[in-house]
This record gives sequence, C-alpha cells and structure tokens, in this order.
Amino acid sequence: MPHWKKAFPLDLAEEAHFGRREFVRFLALVSAGFTAGIGYLALRRRPLEGAPEPGRGLAPPIQICDASEVAPGSSRLFTYRDAQDRCLLIRTPKGELRAYRQTCTHLGCSVRWDGRRLECPCHHGFFEVERGFPVQGPPTRPLSALNVIEKGGGIWVLGDLPKPTLPNEETRS
Amino acid sequence: MTPSPNAQLTTAALVLVLVVVLVQLYLFETVLSAVLDGQRGLLPGAFCVSAVFTALVLFIALKLPSLDRRP
Repeated sequence: MPHWKKAFPLDLAEEAHFGRREFVRFLALVSAGFTAGIGYLALRRRPLEGAPEPGRGLAPPIQICDASEVAPGSSRLFTYRDAQDRCLLIRTPKGELRAYRQTCTHLGCSVRWDGRRLECPCHHGFFEVERGFPVQGPPTRPLSALNVIEKGGGIWVLGDLPKPTLPNEETRS
Repeated sequence: MTPSPNAQLTTAALVLVLVVVLVQLYLFETVLSAVLDGQRGLLPGAFCVSAVFTALVLFIALKLPSLDRRP
C-alpha cells in the first residue's frame, strides 16, 4: 500500500458518492435562492436600470440647455435625477426632440447616438430614436424615455414617460 | 419525522423537485423582466407562489420519508 494511502485512509469511491437526498437538498437551496431573489426585488427601494420608482415623488422640471445648442441630428448628454442618472438628449434630423436614459436595457452599457439611431457599443444593440424600441442586437426592451419640451428658448425635461409596450417582432430587423 | 440520512428518494420525487426548480427559474426570469419593464404589481403574488414552491421542495427534501425507497 502506498504511503499516502496509509496517511489518508479514505474510501474514495464512497467519498465521491452523492446521494439523491443531498442533491434534492441542493435543489431546495437553489429554489430558496430564487424565492429570496424575488423577495429582494419586492423590497428593493432603488429601481433597476435607473428607472423611476412608481409612486414616488416626481423630479422637478429642469432646463437642459438652450435650444440653439442642439442642432438637428446631434445629441447632448445630461443628468436628470442625480449625477448617476445619465441621459441623452437628441434632436432628430426632422428637428424633433427625444431624450432617453443612457442605460442599455441589455446589460447596462451606455448607449450613444450615431446620427441615425441609438447604439450600444458593447454588444452592438441598436434602438430606433422615435420611441426607443430595440431594432437590432440582443436588447429586447425599450429604453427609458423622458418627456422633453422646447420652451422659452430652452429645452426642458419634465419627467419620465411611461414604458411603451413592445412592438411586434416584425419591427426588429 | 426526519428521514435517515442514507434514505433515497424515489425517482418520482426527484423528477418533481427538478420540475419545480425549473418552474422557479422560469418564474424568476419572468419576474425580473417584468420589473425591468416597470411592472412591479406582480411581485407579491410571484413571491407567494415561489415561497410555496420552495416550501414544497424543502418538505420533500427534509421531511417526507413516505417517498423514501430504502436501499
């Protein structure tokens, strides 16, 4: 008998055995983890992805910039609720104003305006600019949109827009 | 009544637990998607359903000697 077997007198075949009950106990732990995860989501005060918490106080309207600072087809970064709430103001080539949170709905990278649509550079997801729906790549949910208006020579953000329902699959290319 | 540590579970019990855990996975994924879409109203109900599933699995894993098949 080798010296190491004398030093460690273990029946390795028996040690490797993993019974059904142990496996089911492990699955019970996994199940409890899912339940705890749902409970955490229910108790979590901060919204996921920087989205607004329903029923909480509205942020006051703020002026982003002067209207003349955003030319058609260009964009401008701004923060809304706090310094972490990074948003993107866009004036479309048609001259309409749109504003979205920069957080991609796939894995949270920052989206950017490429002059035609919004692009997430991490996994090449694309969103159309009119309502923020995903049109290409891995994202499946629309961007969080903000209500912006042009008033008195300035561009103001008034609050969050409700999440639009997803379009049919044929809108994705 | 606590089963002996060496007692085996029947295949039916094992399959039942596996199915319940798969349902739990699907439920969690659905709830997470809904929360990311801003729909939080289903969280209390989903938590209750998930808790019932977990209680069922825990009962099978720890307290159900009638499903044991003694070796």
